[in-house]
Amino acid sequence: MQDIQYVGEHLLPGQIGQAAIVASFVASLFAGISYFFATQRRDKEEYETWRGMGRWGFIVHGISVFTIIGTIFYLMVNQYYEYQYVQAHVSEDLPFKYIFSAFWEGQEGSFLLWMFWHIVLGLVLMATGKQWEAPTLSVLSLIQLFIGSMLLGIYVGFGDEPSRFGSNPLMLLREVMDAPIFAKADYAAQLTGSGLNPLLQNYWMTIHPPTLFLGFASTSIPFCFAIAALWTREHKAWLKPALRWALFSGAILGTGILMGGAWAYEALSFGGYWAWDPVENMSLVPWLILIAGIHTNLIANSTGHSVRSTYIFYLLTFIFIVYSTFLTRSGVLGDTSVHAFTEMGLEVQLVGFLVFFLLFSAVVFGLRVKEIPSPKKEEATSSKEFWMFIGTLVLLFSALIITASTSLPVYNKIMQFFNPAFEGRVITDPEPHFNKYQLWIAVFIGALSGIAQYLRFREVNFKKYASKFGLHTGIALALTAVITYLCTLWIEAKAWQFLLLLFFGIFTIVTNLDYLATFVRGNLKMAGSAFSHIGFGIMIVGILASGLNKRIISNNPFVMDGLIEGASREELARNILLFKNSPLIMPPYEVTYIEDTVDVHTRTFTVNYKRRDEAGNVAEEFNLYPNVLYDKTFTKIAASNPSTKRYWNRDIFTHIASLPQVEIDMEYRRQREDSLNYRVLQAPIGQPVTLIDTVELNNLDTSVLKTYRATVVRINRTPAHPDYKPEEGDIAIGAEIKVERSDEEGVFTVNPVLVLRGQLLYSYPEQINELNAKVRINEGIFDAVFSPETELDYKPYTFKQGDKIEYQGYQIQFAGFNRKPEHPNYTPREDDIAVSAMISVQAPDGEAYLAQPVYLIRDNRPFNIKDEIPGPGLHFRFTGIDPTTETVELQIAQSNKAAERIPIELATNSLRSDYIVLEAIEFPGINLFWLGSMLMMIGLAVSMGRRIGNRVNV
Amino acid sequence: MRKIYIVAILMVVAAIVLLTTAADDMSTYATFGQASRTGDRVKIAGQLSKDKEMYYDPAEDPNYFSFFIKDTEGEERKVVLLSEKPQDFELSEQIVLTGQMKGDEFIATDMLMKCPSKYKDEEVYIKNEGK
Repeated sequence: MQDIQYVGEHLLPGQIGQAAIVASFVASLFAGISYFFATQRRDKEEYETWRGMGRWGFIVHGISVFTIIGTIFYLMVNQYYEYQYVQAHVSEDLPFKYIFSAFWEGQEGSFLLWMFWHIVLGLVLMATGKQWEAPTLSVLSLIQLFIGSMLLGIYVGFGDEPSRFGSNPLMLLREVMDAPIFAKADYAAQLTGSGLNPLLQNYWMTIHPPTLFLGFASTSIPFCFAIAALWTREHKAWLKPALRWALFSGAILGTGILMGGAWAYEALSFGGYWAWDPVENMSLVPWLILIAGIHTNLIANSTGHSVRSTYIFYLLTFIFIVYSTFLTRSGVLGDTSVHAFTEMGLEVQLVGFLVFFLLFSAVVFGLRVKEIPSPKKEEATSSKEFWMFIGTLVLLFSALIITASTSLPVYNKIMQFFNPAFEGRVITDPEPHFNKYQLWIAVFIGALSGIAQYLRFREVNFKKYASKFGLHTGIALALTAVITYLCTLWIEAKAWQFLLLLFFGIFTIVTNLDYLATFVRGNLKMAGSAFSHIGFGIMIVGILASGLNKRIISNNPFVMDGLIEGASREELARNILLFKNSPLIMPPYEVTYIEDTVDVHTRTFTVNYKRRDEAGNVAEEFNLYPNVLYDKTFTKIAASNPSTKRYWNRDIFTHIASLPQVEIDMEYRRQREDSLNYRVLQAPIGQPVTLIDTVELNNLDTSVLKTYRATVVRINRTPAHPDYKPEEGDIAIGAEIKVERSDEEGVFTVNPVLVLRGQLLYSYPEQINELNAKVRINEGIFDAVFSPETELDYKPYTFKQGDKIEYQGYQIQFAGFNRKPEHPNYTPREDDIAVSAMISVQAPDGEAYLAQPVYLIRDNRPFNIKDEIPGPGLHFRFTGIDPTTETVELQIAQSNKAAERIPIELATNSLRSDYIVLEAIEFPGINLFWLGSMLMMIGLAVSMGRRIGNRVNV
Repeated sequence: MRKIYIVAILMVVAAIVLLTTAADDMSTYATFGQASRTGDRVKIAGQLSKDKEMYYDPAEDPNYFSFFIKDTEGEERKVVLLSEKPQDFELSEQIVLTGQMKGDEFIATDMLMKCPSKYKDEEVYIKNEGK
């Protein structure tokens, strides 16, 4: 194949980025090794030399990564589509505010985001780490080396299929795929972007990934401290700095996970905040282990117990982050997750990443485990540390069973590797499966975090303390029982297990409030743990309220009952059909679809909710505005965004589940319009015409006859139609038509319009939804309305002002002149001499009309412009003025009314399309979930703040 | 023995008990044949029969969408999904359904679709002429 000299490519930024990728990789290796020797050398001078080199290496690494990120942004902002990553994630119409979202939509971008945070955190460590700087940054550089390798994109190996190492985000499109277009030298100019998935085009996508990845990255720091401490045998000194970082990590990772839930709940139409999806699970698991680690770390700080467990938990946290990365990015989850990445050929590398850090941690821990100090004396059962430790085991247990269930696809893969005939197993219904087990975890955590607060660290004399403990516990239990009872009046617990969970959720709130009031005594510095545990309790109550008592308002009364045993009617029917402007009662609301508006690709619906009191008065009213986003071609809906009404105690969630096909696909709508079976009716004005339509019934050999009756009431020369925007020079005609059908009550009035603009005819039909009919007028109307002049038999009459004559039973009077004539067909010119005759006509039936024919002299030549009165069919021409006798000459004619049949067209197969398919759910108490979970994070942050404060003070 | 170990052992026992009961929550991907024999609630993986009718008329019932899929053994059956028709349904390559057989029809309450990567065809890369 000959070499093509491509034009229009922008290769320089790509080359800079490529160099930066290699530089970042090499620099992280260099930093890791330098910091390694810095840690190993006891000699101060040597240590400082190596540390200096390590710093340089890490900073160069940081600059390189920032350069890669900057380069990709530069390419994205300038839309250089010859780059594969730009082509895949950006498009011309992507708003600039989503450029960040587009950046981390892909695997490579999210790896870079992860590395970015590692660098930021690494720099903080460099500035504050003191003796920990060298060992922790050595480990962090090692982690960066592994993540960086995912971006290398180099081919290693020999033979026909060298294996690729990493996926390079700066590859050109022509390097990753083969297509005929690359035979053209100027292909670059012809490319266009695929753009960001419309589902991801919202602000959550801008804030959720960076927060989550900061959370991911921050778990590396306690890991680095654990390795560093094992390495340098500083089994005690590391506990304090590690705890600060772990608290930070717990707060950020937790917030990141919650944001994912909030996104799912608020912006996506999942109808919930947590679905036990594998991707969700695998971000929760490291957090749970990290929280367990924080607790053992606290124990270790206070008592010297549990140092080993603290090591294990922090090591495991990071290993599970890597495992989570493997699960979500290797494609192994396949069809068990909605939002895992697809395979990218990184599987082997990801396994390598995981296995390396698993073995690395195990070896480092194994080498030192014997010398980790632990008190000889066992924890007393009456001590705080004993029950806290049990709590951490419960958390670990929870994490492990979530992992076990989520890892089923991995287990299947492994089994299939050994036995290809092995049939993969799946969990049939994940949500009840996980809820069933995690319920007990939450019960234990609720009980333990309640009781443990009353116990003391290193309890030596429980007997003395027992009465106080008993008193507080007893009062708390009694109070909890009362509150639980009160709660059940609001939340239906549905099963005793849920009641138990509710009880212990409230128990932890009560005990921790008590702890806050009597033990902490308003000392806010100590309040972090109480905040977090109260938050946990509130969250549990919120989960129970919103999960158990979630109610689908949009119940469909017509659902087939009993299709599935055990499934309630409610579960089956989520969607309801809502016709425009016809209210539907969905207890307790009266819901009405009011209108919809289109702005570029977004179509927003106004849905009105009314609640009436017993007297029928509106007690409460609000509008919700769910919208749908069309794709560029208007042939499908790319995203459906819910809208939620928030109350302090519940949410009303509404989303558009579907629309009529003609409203989803505009192409289909056109086809549908073309396929309508219009039939022509010649309708004399004022007289009904009938149409008999044969409707075949589905699957039956019968058909029914339906009689339509249509009456043209009047012809309108200045018609209005919602879709018609008048332009200069239009000839527009409308007809007011009354339509009724034999089997349907009511008479429906429609006003279809036909417009002649230049040489083109534009038809504006009208739909009668109740009859599934569509009415339009055809071009024959022009012949019918504008009677040819040649067929008219004009008779001249001479009038003086005020004269009245009788013509065909009409009283016709010349009322006077109008020196500023206005006439639809007359456009005044400067030198015109124009005047119109004002003619009033009275019909035999008493109806009065006015006509104004125009007489004008233009360029010394006389002209006249006729006027007509359409109803009676009278035509007037103003043909002369005799100034001497002060008379005017008018010509009058009447068209043959019998011939004036208006050709209207009626289609009886035009299905109505003025409806939406709506899903509406009520979530009671959901704000308790958000409040509680946020309080948990705030508690972590408060604890961290307090410990950083102590450090500065000391 | 330390009390902690007793607690730990209890937990391990609990874990084993849980994992054995959890086996009830799991199943293999079934075929239509197995689903109709057992009548259980199962997961079925299959391919959409694109040439067969897909029916969704919200005006009639917004919670009824029917189509045909071929399971892994190539057996083709009608499926009724008790929900709206999802967007991009026609594009899906692999479908996983949760539900059970009712007569000749598979009544599904949950569906997961795998769509092909959107960047496969060359045409998406090239600007439309005249744009």
